[in-house]
Amino acid sequence: MATETETVELVGEEVAGNVARAALFAALTGAFAYVSFPNPVSPVPVSLQVLGVFLAGIFLGPVWGGASLTFYLAAGAAGAPVFAGGSAGLGPLAGSTAGFLWSYPIAAALVGAVVHGFDGLADPEAVRTVRLVTAMVAGTAVIYALGTVGFAVVQDVGLVEAFVVSAVAFVPVEAVKIAAAVGIVRSDAAAAA
Amino acid sequence: MLSYTPGDSLAHRLDPRTKLLAQAAFAAAAFVYTTPRGLAGFTLVAAVFLAAGRLSPVDAIRGYLPALPFLVAGPVVSVVEIRPWSVGVDPGAATGPVLASYRVLLVLAVSAVYLHTTPVRESRAAIQRLVPGRPGRLLGVGVALVFRFLPLLRADLRRVRDASAARVGGEQGLRDRMTVVAAAGIRRALGRADQLALALRARCFAWNPTLPELRFGRADAVGLAVTAGLVGVAVVGVVPV
Repeated sequence: MATETETVELVGEEVAGNVARAALFAALTGAFAYVSFPNPVSPVPVSLQVLGVFLAGIFLGPVWGGASLTFYLAAGAAGAPVFAGGSAGLGPLAGSTAGFLWSYPIAAALVGAVVHGFDGLADPEAVRTVRLVTAMVAGTAVIYALGTVGFAVVQDVGLVEAFVVSAVAFVPVEAVKIAAAVGIVRSDAAAAA
Repeated sequence: MLSYTPGDSLAHRLDPRTKLLAQAAFAAAAFVYTTPRGLAGFTLVAAVFLAAGRLSPVDAIRGYLPALPFLVAGPVVSVVEIRPWSVGVDPGAATGPVLASYRVLLVLAVSAVYLHTTPVRESRAAIQRLVPGRPGRLLGVGVALVFRFLPLLRADLRRVRDASAARVGGEQGLRDRMTVVAAAGIRRALGRADQLALALRARCFAWNPTLPELRFGRADAVGLAVTAGLVGVAVVGVVPV
């Protein structure tokens, strides 16, 4: 074992708390990949992963929200079954849906930045609904823009075809997820934050 | 689902850093040479990787079933051509997308070998050593915690869905059903995070943890030579000589 015995440098309380939350939100986003609902506009079911991205930004802010989804990607690459359908490994990060996966940390950081700004975290319950919705619409735009470009590059198809295959069936449901996220922030779940 | 299976194959004995770098190099090279000849060569390389991990191609691809519809859809949509008043079919347009899909399949098969032959502890140690400084240490801790808490949160969510279904939750609207599951998930996640933070502090959570020792062996020399070869092939393809 490679033990360092000379000095033990403790992690500060604040960082320890943030690491714990970021890791739990990453695991929650992974667990959301297994929760699927019937899609009202398509036979392809929808999972809650993107909701995990929104909530990480809203509850953890730009820095730790982005860190949380970075943990998610790294854990998935290392073999945790957290990607769509319980897949894992470095492969999906270079596969058809790679653009979506790489966009998650950026989208979470963006949602966090719009909701909280950069000087400290606001109480999510006190944030106005317009601001929450704007943040999540911006996050959705980033996710689908990068996702579509990623699909087009990896699959060697045009942007329109890429959008048709990888996004059209899912974009309308994002509106439902945004509404659900607002409902969660206004529910007692947020009181625990 | 693909997960670590103990064994003594060549790939099991390689250092996880060698395997991570080899996968990245393989993906880069396959993206640079997406031609019939190039991909024929990379099929051989992927077959060698699979043999080194004693993993069958069928088992490797079975781990990525959710990705397969996208690999089929890419070529299919490229064949259909929508004109102002009609819909045409142009099979020739599918050549590029078919090669692209096959390349992704090879990359997925190679990453399956990593999952099959590498325990979580080694992956975590490799990540922490590949990413320098405190960001690497935080990433290592984060990865380990995701592995630890994923099954717990999945079970939490399953219980919420069962309870909701038992109370005719299935008849609610989509938004309400998502809210119920996700709100419960958030509550559990925040509760577990608070307990975890307390436990981390109580156990002197430090920047310098004890990791399993990683050592490059003789097999890694071969693995790193293959990796260097793949990187070289990719660089030659990108930079005009």
